[in-house]
Amino acid sequence: MNLDFTADEEQFRDRARTWLRDHLPTEQRPPDGQPMREFDVAWQQTLYEGGWAGINWPVEFGGRGLTDIEQMIWYSEFANADPAFTLNNSCTFVGNNHGGPTLITCGDDTQKQYHLPRILRGEVIWCQGFSEPGAGSDLASLSTKGVIDGDEIVVTGQKIWTSYAEVADFQELLVRTDPTAPKHKGISWVICDMATPGIDIRPIRTMAHTNDFAEVFYDEVRIPLTNVVGDLHDGWRVAMSTLSFERGTAFMADQIELVATIEELIVEARQRTGRDGKRPAIADDDIALRLATARAEIAALGAMTIAGISRNRRTAMPGPEGSMIRLFHGELHQRVYQLALDIIGDDAFRLTPIDGDGVWTGPYLQSFAYTIGGGTTDIQRNIVGERVLGLPRVK
Amino acid sequence: MDLLPTPEQDEIIGSIRAVLAGRHTIGEPLSDGLWSSAVEQGWFGLSVAEADGGVGYSIVEEGLLFAEIGASCVPGPFLATALAAHLAPRLIHDGGRTALAEPEGDHLRVIDGPGADRVLVVGSGGAELFDIADLGELTPEPALDELVGLAVAPRPTARPIATGDVTLRAHVLLGALLAGIARATGEQSVEYAKDREQFGQPIGGFQAVKHRCADQAVRSDAAMNQVRFASLAARDGRDDSLFQATAAHLVAANAAIANAQWNIQNHGGIGFTWEHTAHRYLTRARIWAQLCGGGYGAATQLLSLPTSG
Repeated sequence: MNLDFTADEEQFRDRARTWLRDHLPTEQRPPDGQPMREFDVAWQQTLYEGGWAGINWPVEFGGRGLTDIEQMIWYSEFANADPAFTLNNSCTFVGNNHGGPTLITCGDDTQKQYHLPRILRGEVIWCQGFSEPGAGSDLASLSTKGVIDGDEIVVTGQKIWTSYAEVADFQELLVRTDPTAPKHKGISWVICDMATPGIDIRPIRTMAHTNDFAEVFYDEVRIPLTNVVGDLHDGWRVAMSTLSFERGTAFMADQIELVATIEELIVEARQRTGRDGKRPAIADDDIALRLATARAEIAALGAMTIAGISRNRRTAMPGPEGSMIRLFHGELHQRVYQLALDIIGDDAFRLTPIDGDGVWTGPYLQSFAYTIGGGTTDIQRNIVGERVLGLPRVK
Repeated sequence: MDLLPTPEQDEIIGSIRAVLAGRHTIGEPLSDGLWSSAVEQGWFGLSVAEADGGVGYSIVEEGLLFAEIGASCVPGPFLATALAAHLAPRLIHDGGRTALAEPEGDHLRVIDGPGADRVLVVGSGGAELFDIADLGELTPEPALDELVGLAVAPRPTARPIATGDVTLRAHVLLGALLAGIARATGEQSVEYAKDREQFGQPIGGFQAVKHRCADQAVRSDAAMNQVRFASLAARDGRDDSLFQATAAHLVAANAAIANAQWNIQNHGGIGFTWEHTAHRYLTRARIWAQLCGGGYGAATQLLSLPTSG
């Protein structure tokens, strides 16, 4: 047990800090469409050219081959640089944090050689095609068909809750390739080229006023069998590896950003007049206690993150304990923004964007995604109960 | 940077667990056998330098010890005795017990008074160690936790044996005790949820119970890791050590109380009985949560402490 950074890690931090000072975009991120894609892609390219893309990815695929600690240092320097946008609110998220890591673990050489460098260089955008209208929390009951026809899979069906589908080039797609097998055994994980004929995308507007969500319809979409990642019909195992990355370190950036958020909120509570119309908001005992508790819990979240990295260092794949961090983080993130709405007084009437300086109501609306996306908190509790604590499975 | 115990630290934890398991049953008072073992094993000088007669480990290992003491719910003056050893290291090996007192109105509120040789008075101005005889008469009071020996006494007028600041160390060690309770009550619930059957299956298969167990595990993990982080920050003398320690006390107190409360609910009727140990954890957690500037005061104080390392 130690809190020491190595000399290399300290140097890495210094270089990151200096580089961010010179390269961090200062303009607002466009909220949707092609301008948003261009902004996100330009930032990814800037990162790649600066040597900050794929920090913990293998060197052979264009990554830096560094550790999760260095990845954590980078996120923390990014958050400290007072960015005008949130790192994970980006259409590069799935490529960097789901698709890419899954290919690294389960992809074949051709798939890795082709896709990984393109993701890191910001040449392509990936999206996710997991949930369906009839398969949300019960993901393994998905019914989008993948019929094998020669050396192709012919996909017909529907996916939902796909962020950034309209601007994506590729999709990590789960399809049922063996309808006769038990539900976890007949699924395949395939790379779907979003330009393939037969794909129809319909945007879904969210309660946070964003338009990057979508339904995706597939009408006999032909995908080469060589795009199957892992073995045919073994997609559930591949998908679980994606989700363990998501629950492991993918949300580290959000978790670290929360440190800056609570400090900003404490400043707001000192500067704004409270509910009595006279004293600062922080003079209210209830507000002060909630702020203090959140500040302490965010410190604990940081400690859990380091413990998670320490655990992952000892194993090849992130374990189910990542769900504990995800669960704690999702609900804590929500509590922070609920508290913010109680602190900002009359500004709670006014809508703000979901990122930027001094914005609270937009992120408050967006915070509801944190306990739903990537497996609801109910599902995370099942995972903790069953896979960490060994309680009997849900019947 | 690493937050998991080293193999050597795991061995320390293992030997502490063996001593506690062999010499303490939850719900029983502190045995003389356990106290002598603790003295022999050097528990009260664990983080005192070897030059001063201690074992020469740090507050990190001391935190591991106190997490195990918390998890085993053993009563007794462990905390104040360990804190006093830093004010007067010559007392480490004499086997003496130190009660803990805090101002309450014009008087002192004393815990672990019966059988104590000394008393550590912890107030906002610092800590003072006295001979127990200097306290005057202790008036016993019924305690929320019958095993902590609650009493009130007049403030001493004698000169203290030693003085110093124990705030940082007290927050870390109380955090460790409470994180231990959070862990133990979570584990007790999981064990019961696997064992107890209703409607033809273990109750841990029902989401209502399973999800409460998951929440207990999350609270316990948050508390334990924050305590470990805080103990390292304290050992290293970081600028944020008081913030981390106060945060550890607060997060662990909330975790211990919530987990102990839900543990009673998870056990149903048996959890409400005197015979069952569930209430022991709860009442102990309530006391440890409020000691040494825990509770509301610490929570709001935490807002003005620096967080950067």
